[in-house]
Amino acid sequence: MTWLELSVSADNEAVEAVSEVLARFGYNGGVVVEPAWTPGDEGPEFRYDPARPATLRTYLPLDAQSEELRQRIEQALWHLGQMRPIGPLQVRALEEEDWANAWKQHYSVLRVGQRIVIVPSWLEHTAAPDDIVLHLDPGMAFGTGLHPTTRLCLALLERHARPGQRALDLGTGSGILAIALAKLGAHPVVALDNDPVATQVAAENVRLNHVATSVNVATGSLGAGARMGHWLSGNFGDEDTQAATDPSLPSPAVTTTFDLIAANLIARVLCILAADLATTLAPGGILISSGIIDSREPEVHTAFEAVGLQQLARYQEGEWVALVHTRKEENEQQNSS
Amino acid sequence: MAKKLVAIVKLQLPAGKATPAPPVGPALGQHGINIMGFVKEYNEKSSSQAGSIVPVEISIFSDRSFSVKLLTPPAADLLRKASGAAKGSGTPNRTSAGQITREQLRQIAQQKMPDMNALDIEGAEKVISGTARSMGIKIVD
Repeated sequence: MTWLELSVSADNEAVEAVSEVLARFGYNGGVVVEPAWTPGDEGPEFRYDPARPATLRTYLPLDAQSEELRQRIEQALWHLGQMRPIGPLQVRALEEEDWANAWKQHYSVLRVGQRIVIVPSWLEHTAAPDDIVLHLDPGMAFGTGLHPTTRLCLALLERHARPGQRALDLGTGSGILAIALAKLGAHPVVALDNDPVATQVAAENVRLNHVATSVNVATGSLGAGARMGHWLSGNFGDEDTQAATDPSLPSPAVTTTFDLIAANLIARVLCILAADLATTLAPGGILISSGIIDSREPEVHTAFEAVGLQQLARYQEGEWVALVHTRKEENEQQNSS
Repeated sequence: MAKKLVAIVKLQLPAGKATPAPPVGPALGQHGINIMGFVKEYNEKSSSQAGSIVPVEISIFSDRSFSVKLLTPPAADLLRKASGAAKGSGTPNRTSAGQITREQLRQIAQQKMPDMNALDIEGAEKVISGTARSMGIKIVD
């Protein structure tokens, strides 16, 4: 698919007004603002340079209407230009591939936890004897190992995964956690995701790592999760739309229980899935939940406590929290009730 | 040790509804950020403000990690709401889209203050009144 990128420079005081014009016509109301700043500045001392103009961009899908939209933006900017200095509108065509793969050139070998090494599939790496190497091409799926939510999970898997455990990776994305589980000895590993693009990527990564005999990748979720829809659908996980969403999403019959579950999701979804996670976790099993933003952590506590999950540990990196829970043994549950 | 900051990008997006499509993909892909990582983080942080435009500032570091900070709503949106105008004037130098009072201007400046480069509230008001003017919104006493 081809897109038009429209850019214009404007001084600091005009930025909001130009944004307003671009948002009115641009795709999805989206606007990019790149303020001027001095390169080489370090984190906390960073300063914008308000004296120099900022660059603003918006995007239009290249179709029958794009030329008319472009003209309307140009007209609106011309009028603004009568009041404040605004640069000429620049247009260039852009292919989806131009950005979908652009980030790859910045991605390098990454060490996480004690022994895990993530190697982009297009790079070579000589592993140390103890290394657990994950070969990965995340493509358009979540899970590169760079994000704190994934890093926390990997470090916790290293601590809790044991050979022969039955494991579930819920919301597998690129498959990174499922592959790590398999390489740490878990068998069998079920990797589920609501997003068919993700399961395709995950299956490819599983093959790349030669763990297809252990890891079974499928599109779907657990119980309530199967009615949640696609995670980018806009109303993902809304309580009131759950019943109305497309029931066509396959829900693999997960009848077994697991000794270890990794769920790198988000707080709201963890709450919705709490009961399903609890029933799918074997007594004495370990649940690693991640993707919890610290401000919403109390919601997860409440939901997990209500279904009898017991917290063992809590880890935080920046504003992201990962939790380790277990399910009480059957007899303990009876005693406590 | 502070990680080196290599770029800062601001995006205006509908809360909770970011996708890898433009503007997110092209704006972040060129800086080496995993697009899905940003999409997940933005949607999670902004989901409670669904229905609004929530601008976000992304700081990109040399190891390609990034931090995401939600900003206050665009001044243009606040001005539109305060004035009751459906949109800015297409010809602000000629036709007016609406008006707001000095008091409303001060309220907007106060709300926007944390994200502005202005030194004081008067400076912030000056910037916002400039935005109002360029949208064809008049400020009245």
